[in-house]
Amino acid sequence: MTARERRTRILQMLQLLPILSVLVILFGGALVMALLQSLGFAPWFGINTFPDFSHFGSLWGSQTFWVSLWLTLYYATVSTLLALVFGTILALALIKAFPGKWLYKYLYKLPLMIPYTVGIALAVIMLSSGGVLSRIVAFAGLIDDPGQFPQILKTHYGWGIIAVYVWKQTPFITLAVYAVLLGIGRETEEAAAILGARRGAIFFRVTLPQILPGIVSSTLICFAFNVGAFEAPFILGGGFPDTLPVVAWRYFNDADYTLQLQGMATVVSIGIVAGVILFAYLWVYRRYERRMGRH
Amino acid sequence: MTQVRLNSVRKQFGNFVAIENLDLDISSGELVALLGPSGCGKTTTLRMISGLERPSNGAILFNGKDVSEQAVQDRNVGMVFQRYALFPHMTVEKNVAFGPSVRGESKAEIARRLDEILEVVQLTPFRTRFPAQLSGGQMQRVAVARTLITKPSILMMDEPLANLDTKLRVEMRRFIRDLQQRLGITTIFVTHDQIEAMELADRVAVIFDGHLAQYDTPERIYRYPRSLDVADFMGATNIYPGKVLSRNRVSTALGEIDCLHQDDRSVGESVQVLLRAEALDMSTGPFTSEGSGMRGRIKARDFFGASVTYRVACNDQEIDVTENARRMRDVGDDVHLQIAPEQVWLLSG
Ligand SMILES: Nc1ncnc2c1ncn2[C@@H]1O[C@H](COP(=O)(O)OP(=O)(O)OP(=O)(O)O)[C@@H](O)[C@H]1O
Ligand SMILES: [Mg+2]
Repeated sequence: MTARERRTRILQMLQLLPILSVLVILFGGALVMALLQSLGFAPWFGINTFPDFSHFGSLWGSQTFWVSLWLTLYYATVSTLLALVFGTILALALIKAFPGKWLYKYLYKLPLMIPYTVGIALAVIMLSSGGVLSRIVAFAGLIDDPGQFPQILKTHYGWGIIAVYVWKQTPFITLAVYAVLLGIGRETEEAAAILGARRGAIFFRVTLPQILPGIVSSTLICFAFNVGAFEAPFILGGGFPDTLPVVAWRYFNDADYTLQLQGMATVVSIGIVAGVILFAYLWVYRRYERRMGRH
Repeated sequence: MTQVRLNSVRKQFGNFVAIENLDLDISSGELVALLGPSGCGKTTTLRMISGLERPSNGAILFNGKDVSEQAVQDRNVGMVFQRYALFPHMTVEKNVAFGPSVRGESKAEIARRLDEILEVVQLTPFRTRFPAQLSGGQMQRVAVARTLITKPSILMMDEPLANLDTKLRVEMRRFIRDLQQRLGITTIFVTHDQIEAMELADRVAVIFDGHLAQYDTPERIYRYPRSLDVADFMGATNIYPGKVLSRNRVSTALGEIDCLHQDDRSVGESVQVLLRAEALDMSTGPFTSEGSGMRGRIKARDFFGASVTYRVACNDQEIDVTENARRMRDVGDDVHLQIAPEQVWLLSG
């Protein structure tokens, strides 16, 4: 490194300092505290058995933890994938010209501005037995009574949870992919069509590789949120065994405050699982990028 | 071998008419240039021929068969885009092999044709590079190779040389011309550079504002432009209002000039007289008084290397005269100008 390069490097570090300090203090600090507590360090409760792995031991030793983990990942993955498919299709539709497009461009963003809790309430109103959908189906004569409507909410299939996540996150992914699509323009697709590629080949061989950065970043955000989100599985979930964030919440709210440490162990577990998955995801993507010659 | 015909093709974007009743006939194996200023509709015309855009009216025929309703993929045309439109995530090889690969050619056949075409465009050493790692000229050759490997029946190129430096432009021009002649492929290319159009094309279609202004050989367009706009676009500078005196004499502010008779001109008609700068003969005394002689004095001189253009004051008018740079005249010289009658062109106006 020449002296000039070194100087630029130092200057860059200095410019990064403010944001770095915020990150380290707020984010890193909280992480360290959570980790310490989960390992038995909580003098403010009069507990200090640090280092103590028993909280993790009892958590990971129970069968329900693994069921909870499975449910958490299942809801998060399925909703992210569905939102990805819908969002990508929507984004592809949006770059084409069609009548009423301007109105549509406002409408599809609506769920982004409506809070999750409202979305959950909407799901209850629409999808519960006795809800709007069941009445419509009954009215149409497909079932005799709204009560016969199949149970959508509060099952471990999690259709309600998935519905809310997909409803909220489809526009988000649409927005991200649409922006990338606008950036790459239509010309490579047109060139592919002239070279003889049909729609499927154009999408999978030309469009998809180019929008992948947008897909990866937006699904990363959605997945991370879905793994850690709490309201939807709490209200719309199937009850015991709950998803991990709900499990953590129950520990925190327990009258026995020593279970707080168990809660922290749960939170840290979520963090570890999410972190491993996200890093693996990024690693695979980086490998792909490098193979594509991007650095 | 494909012959292309546009039958009163019209293209409208919303309320904006981009192309108005365009008739164009391109023989098979011909190299045609679409020439015109920015925004006149050249790209739109190419896009309609390729099938990327559907004409609002009119028909496009390949070998007499209407293809207006045919999908892009089925037309077997090739197009080199204005900004190349290479696939950024593919290497040179993958870019070039894309066409045959989506058309389901066998791996061996693709490999064979790939090697061959990369050799033709001299890109073999760059075959594993990505577009971002290529120079403008190399990207352009990838775009050409990617198109040619599919053996299109019509090759279209949108300003293929616009982004290249002068030397490379000359090189690529020769490359395209050679290739076109070797393959005998019907070729349409877009340019807004009249020199490029004249050098490359068998015929030039001059388009203004979506109208076809003239469609002719380069020489005829240059010498006998049909309108003032075309003359102007082809770089004519000496245009003077005049009146037809007789079948072969016309009067202008420069004086009376002999010309050849043009069928559509009648005596007494007001015309614009076009005198190409390089068709004027300039001499310094002793002056004779026959022919269309005009006297003047050199006011300015522009040196272009191979040629020199003098600005000559003549009867209160100014006239440009271009001469070979072998002999240089000086500003202030008194000169005598003459022009052969067959070099005088009359435009209506
Ligand atoms: N999709 C479109 N929607 C609306 N107007 C368009 C569209 N495509 C082209 N136009 C308009 O049609 C006219 C002709 O465009 P075109 O791209 O054919 O010009 P061009 O002759 O290729 O110009 P240039 O030399 O700058 O490339 C322009 O005025 C342009 O704004
Ligand atoms: Mg153009």
